[in-house]
Amino acid sequence: MKFKDYYAVLEVERDASSEEIKKAYRRLARRYHPDVAKEAGAEDAFKAIGEAYQTLSDPEKRQAYDDLGRHQSGEEFKPPQDWESRFWRGGNQPASQQGSPQEVDLADLFEQMGFSGAGRSSRQPVDVPIRGQDLEVATELSLEQAAQGSEVSFTLQVPAWLADGRGVREPRSGTIRVPSGVIEGERLRVPGRGGAGMGGGPAGDLYLEIRLKPHPHFRPVGHDLYLELPIAPWEAALGAELDLPTLDGTARVTVRPGMRNGQKLRLAGKGLPRRKQGAGDLYGVIQIVMPDQLSDRERQLYRDLAEASAFNPRPHFAAPRTDG
Amino acid sequence: MADDLLIPDDEENPVALEELLAASGLDHQEVSELIQFGVFQLAGSGALWTFHVHTVRLACRAARLRDDFGLNVAGMALALTYLERIEALEGRLRELECQLPR
Repeated sequence: MKFKDYYAVLEVERDASSEEIKKAYRRLARRYHPDVAKEAGAEDAFKAIGEAYQTLSDPEKRQAYDDLGRHQSGEEFKPPQDWESRFWRGGNQPASQQGSPQEVDLADLFEQMGFSGAGRSSRQPVDVPIRGQDLEVATELSLEQAAQGSEVSFTLQVPAWLADGRGVREPRSGTIRVPSGVIEGERLRVPGRGGAGMGGGPAGDLYLEIRLKPHPHFRPVGHDLYLELPIAPWEAALGAELDLPTLDGTARVTVRPGMRNGQKLRLAGKGLPRRKQGAGDLYGVIQIVMPDQLSDRERQLYRDLAEASAFNPRPHFAAPRTDG
Repeated sequence: MADDLLIPDDEENPVALEELLAASGLDHQEVSELIQFGVFQLAGSGALWTFHVHTVRLACRAARLRDDFGLNVAGMALALTYLERIEALEGRLRELECQLPR
């Protein structure tokens, strides 16, 4: 079994009071809570502090943890000889004595204590119904997959209960049907397909979180798609007929003469399809771009244009009049 | 079991109160107060309360905030309102970013 230093995770001393542990947990939870924090790794950090707090906030579990002794984080270790007999009463052996010791996670060991540890009940099947844990899987879809619908395969380590009330982890794989019309950040719920319940409790739910892969052209906002549409200065001035890429091909659009930077061309219904009917829109955002290099002839034509034009793009910069 | 195809909830199908409670871990009183705060909306006007699928997500989040920070219902309502507002602003920010040259 690999050792985890729960005190280090919570950034407290080993003799911290329960109040200090609670404060440390609250402070770290605020920083890493998945509903609040956005930075990478926050979710893993939150799981780690949650696991540490689960054990250290319960006096009985904390005592059991302290009695494991001090080890380096990640170090392989075995609980002391009499450790399990002191913390587990009743018939069954804790998971650390079943199978090879490497498969046991410290968190699982302490979680089992919560349901069947010393002082609460003997290690009998629990008869209070407990709902199974919710499970989460994340997937990355291309925009095309999101538009057309897709099937996502997953494999998870799922907490499960043996007949004697012992908790184990078992791999579960499956395939989820993702309907057409999902958007970035959406969470699909598959009721009753999470972790198994205990003592007659219902199973938890399975959630699939949707992420969209970056696309070379399109940026999704909800069901709408945005496309950067570069045009030459003369196309902006004179107008043009262009072929725009869409998710399923191309569409011909008319750029009106006198287009400005940032103006949007809207192609109704060319965004991502919605779940039932209809679709978002595709917006081409005009970007007037200059050639990197001008030929002599182009430069001359611009000079001619500059001489011929009376256009002042900065009239508002003119010196304000001071006389009435 | 490994090969069956799992079908997610249809977002149009309303979720019953019992299911919302089971899925989130909130209790009846908390849900009732969160409706009063206007954070949860009922999906229909019938005698039996039903909710939109997205309310399940909000409810799970509310229960996590309650458990992890010790929030009461007013605290949950406030946090959910702010989180919703932040998400709306992030959406708006993404929309505006999409209109800038890369």
